[in-house]
Amino acid sequence: MLPTLAAAVSISDSFVFSPVIRPDADILLEITGLHARVEDNAILKGVDLTLRAGEIHAVMGRNGSGKSTLSKVLAGHPAYTVTAGTVTYRGQNLLELSPEERARLGVFLGFQYPVEIPGVSNLEFLRVATNARRVQLGQEELDTFAFEDLVRERIKVVQMDPAFLDRSVNEGFSGGEKKRNEILQMALLEPLVAILDETDSGLDIDALRIVAAGVSQLATADTATLLITHYQRLLEAITPDFVHVMAAGRILRMGGRELALELEERGYDWVDQELAALELG
Amino acid sequence: MGISTVSAKGLAGWTSDLLARLPAPSGPLAAVQRRGREALAALQGPSRRQEAWRFTDLALLAGLDLNPSAALSRGAATDGLARQGTSQSGPGTLRLKLDGGSDPLAGVVLPAGVSPLSESELALALGHTLAATGCEQHWPVELNHASASQLLALRVASRSQVSLELVSDAASELQPLRVLLILEEKAQLQLCQRLTATGAGLTSLVLEAHLGRGARLEHALVALGQVDAALLAHLALEQEPESHVSLVAVSAGWGVSRLEPRIEQVDGSATTTLRGLQVVAGDQIADTHSHMAFGGPEGQLDQLHKAVADGRGRSVFNGAVRVSRAAQRTNAAQLSRSLLLSDRARIDTKPELEIVADDVRCAHGATVSCLQQDELFYLQSRGIAADQASALLKRAFCEEVLRELPAPARRWCPFESLLATHGSDRGPAIAVESGREGLEGEGG
Amino acid sequence: MTTAASVGDLVSQPYKYGFVTDIETEKIAKGLSEDVVRLISSKKDEPAFLLDFRLRAYRQWLQMETPDWAALGYPTIDFQNIIYYAAPKQRDKKASLDEVDPKLLETFDKLGIPLSEQKRLTNVAVDAVFDSVSIATTYKEKLAEHGVIFCSISEAVKEHPELIERYLGTVVPSNDNYYSALNSAVFSDGSFVFIPKGVECPMELSTYFRINSGDTGQFERTLIVAEEGASVSYLEGCTAPMFDTNQLHAAVVELVVLDDASIKYSTVQNWYAGDEHGVGGIYNFVTKRGHCRGDRSKISWTQVETGSAITWKYPSCVLQGADSVGEFYSVALTNNYQQADTGSKMVHVGPRTRSTIVSKGISAGHSANSYRGLVQIGPKAVGARNYSQCDSMLIGDQAAANTYPYIRSQQPLASVEHEASTCRMSEDQLFYLQSRGIAFEEAVSMMVSGFCRDVFNQLPMEFAAEADKLLALKLEGSVG
Repeated sequence: MLPTLAAAVSISDSFVFSPVIRPDADILLEITGLHARVEDNAILKGVDLTLRAGEIHAVMGRNGSGKSTLSKVLAGHPAYTVTAGTVTYRGQNLLELSPEERARLGVFLGFQYPVEIPGVSNLEFLRVATNARRVQLGQEELDTFAFEDLVRERIKVVQMDPAFLDRSVNEGFSGGEKKRNEILQMALLEPLVAILDETDSGLDIDALRIVAAGVSQLATADTATLLITHYQRLLEAITPDFVHVMAAGRILRMGGRELALELEERGYDWVDQELAALELG
Repeated sequence: MGISTVSAKGLAGWTSDLLARLPAPSGPLAAVQRRGREALAALQGPSRRQEAWRFTDLALLAGLDLNPSAALSRGAATDGLARQGTSQSGPGTLRLKLDGGSDPLAGVVLPAGVSPLSESELALALGHTLAATGCEQHWPVELNHASASQLLALRVASRSQVSLELVSDAASELQPLRVLLILEEKAQLQLCQRLTATGAGLTSLVLEAHLGRGARLEHALVALGQVDAALLAHLALEQEPESHVSLVAVSAGWGVSRLEPRIEQVDGSATTTLRGLQVVAGDQIADTHSHMAFGGPEGQLDQLHKAVADGRGRSVFNGAVRVSRAAQRTNAAQLSRSLLLSDRARIDTKPELEIVADDVRCAHGATVSCLQQDELFYLQSRGIAADQASALLKRAFCEEVLRELPAPARRWCPFESLLATHGSDRGPAIAVESGREGLEGEGG
Repeated sequence: MTTAASVGDLVSQPYKYGFVTDIETEKIAKGLSEDVVRLISSKKDEPAFLLDFRLRAYRQWLQMETPDWAALGYPTIDFQNIIYYAAPKQRDKKASLDEVDPKLLETFDKLGIPLSEQKRLTNVAVDAVFDSVSIATTYKEKLAEHGVIFCSISEAVKEHPELIERYLGTVVPSNDNYYSALNSAVFSDGSFVFIPKGVECPMELSTYFRINSGDTGQFERTLIVAEEGASVSYLEGCTAPMFDTNQLHAAVVELVVLDDASIKYSTVQNWYAGDEHGVGGIYNFVTKRGHCRGDRSKISWTQVETGSAITWKYPSCVLQGADSVGEFYSVALTNNYQQADTGSKMVHVGPRTRSTIVSKGISAGHSANSYRGLVQIGPKAVGARNYSQCDSMLIGDQAAANTYPYIRSQQPLASVEHEASTCRMSEDQLFYLQSRGIAFEEAVSMMVSGFCRDVFNQLPMEFAAEADKLLALKLEGSVG
């Protein structure tokens, strides 16, 4: 097997860049040499990524580059199998934990396509999830009244109509409402690592602004955020500290936010060329 | 009425009379006839005690005094007339007349891509789809087996596109029609079929079609009978993966009609669209028993069945959908909508969903009601008279199915011909223009 | 795949009511004959009209054939190999609960139905039926103050023969079907409720049925009458020990409601369902029917069916009175080799009658779960309306879900609407809940209760939790 490509790229001289802004900050999530497949298709082919507290990272890439797979693997989706590599979350092996354990410990995935769950009340769902996280943090569980107070406060972050609390989970929500519901969950669960998969897709400009403001507000010095996106427009609203370009299951390039602008200008074609060159080499 | 005396004798008596009067087995179907007659003699005819016939009384059938040999002996006399009616059918369309007696292909030049099945192919294919769809021993099928002496058996070659019209008209006779179609890989066939009745007769249709991978069959069946005529039709279709069936069946005017579309998606991955419209008035009974089976994954069904019942008419719909264990990711939707226009009419509708696979989407729905009062009122409030408004709404109701008929078939059943069943006990008058076309088209 | 397997594991929780109470029982010999019918009647010291009723039914039964139209498969039942009467031996007259055998009280305690004065449920009156007889009814006196009669049907035969004679068999005629005829011939006990004119029953009424003997059939008979303007909410619960043979349960329930009266009838059925190989379990062949005789009367059936090897049951409403209302809310859960063929019949006779059917079927394991319903709109039911909704959820690819909704309409100024859907618990939905920190078991349970919510909402408050718990027990690792 080839040495991991990301390593190969990081030593290339195509950019000058300091990969760490606060070297003393805690490492929250460390991904090394991650390979994963779904059914018989290998999708991730050696991903390396380190998230420190206080950082906002963006992973960009074409459809099919493995971005969404990375997010699903980190959240523990059963359809994906990790074949090599490690993921360490605050010193703990993340890959041996069940999806719910990861969530309770503070890893949050904002879904690209949040599923609808008819019959399950959104409010009840939010309460059960929030209490599961609170128990993990050693806080007391909230009863329905205390929880309603909390929700009504947090819902302001995403400017969502409280009427959506009384509906079934995501059922009949528009694309924008689903994404707001995702960010509301993030606001309630207070994760340390938030992975937001194509949170900008399907949003109009106003919704994008609100969602981005919500995400920015929730990103603190103690948390790390991983934005997975195809377009640069989300990055106009949320400024990333680092941008990673993903292709064919690897991180091909890493840089500052100027890399996102470069992608926007030049498109992804150069990525293909670079990838072809690497594969030939 | 004579019916009571005859029905005392019942369907069993009627059947044995018929069997006694059938001519000796002959022709390409002689062996089938022999087996069918044995089976029919042994089989108990449909009765209301059987679940499949619970709502459909064939008393009318038992009252028909049929001369089984009228159609069957027509034979050679009309052979010379059975010619292609190129002038009336569209360009590239072959029109064939089926009369139950004469060889439908005699004197006909088949278009490119269509060929008759050889005897050895026939031996393999005939009855195969009936068996695959589980209806080869149904009473109406055995009746056809016992009596049909001619058949139309065609192969549509791979990748060819063919348009066919089949027309039949039954007088006071038993008219057994047997059709077998083989669509090779990626073959496309548009089949417009018209069944009409001009006497107190029985039309018995058994049609089998086997669709190869990627083949498309667009079948429009327009069956317009009259009150003293009966129709028993089985349409058995077998679909290989990636094939597509679109069946639009419209029936009206028969004293009693029973239509059984039976479709098997052998290995799934095929699409099936079914549209049905049946109209009853007077004392008519119209019954559709559809049966859709998914034998493999990723099959699709989109079914809409509509019924209009007026007078003392009875409409029956039974829509079975069976999803086997292998048929994961099946997506099936069935909707039955019925209009009940008279308080002496009756609608019986029963979807039947049987599912043994967990990853499937199956939805079905049924509604029975009269015309929506608020819609009527809306039209009236715009100055449209009540009867005109209700005619408009009835038309809109039927149009949802009619508009899916291919153009040639659409011409055969203008909405007025269906509506003609209302308010009179006569069957629908077939539009004069198209009726004449049907009768004379073959004269050439 | 992994989801199906682990959900399958979850569904297979042990049956916790499978114990047998060791108590001396009086049984009559196996088999059914005219003498047996007479013997049952004489043991119960019944008036002549009731013996006649039984004998007539027995003779009708002899002429009938077992129904075979349901989507059920089971070996032929040998009706001569069943005991038709079994009763725990105890003093003849139980003047108070103190005289009831402590073993019996203990049994019901264990089942979560405490009967003794100190422990009994507040605001719920309970009639406890053990094998063929009613052993105790709580709160009788308090109910009597309101004119409400709540007692075992045997007691009612003695105390209120005129009511029994007037109503028994008028909703479900003994020859209605094979099992109703059998029940009419040999029924042993059951509950009787009478709510007089204008009375709103002050508490929930409940009957708890317990089959204890291994070779005994249970044939209970329930009759509830609500006079003009009266209303009552009634709940029945059922459990049985685990035996590797099948026991027959063939009950008949009749409801009569007069003008402006209403009955809400809820069932939580958890008979023993057999083991994971389909051995043993109750054969549950039940005829339940309500007759809305009066104008603006209402009957509402709610059922949560989780037990029995075989369930054959179609709680029905005959909507005769003008503007009367019938409702049916059902959850049926089948697992392993259980078979359920259940649904409802709504027969609209009178004008402007309305009915609603909401049925939720969950099939897991190798089970078969069928909804079978009939909505019939008669020629005089002008302005009648029905809405039916039948949803199925499949867990694993070995289970079957069938839907057979019959609709017959003879009245143009009526509307019937039926909707049905089939879904599965999808891996993506489970993952979504898990990724928010919700444990797998809880996620499954949330989705099942979500799926069933429309029905649970109909259960009386006291029992909604019980039903939720019961499903949780079947579907979850543990119940807190």
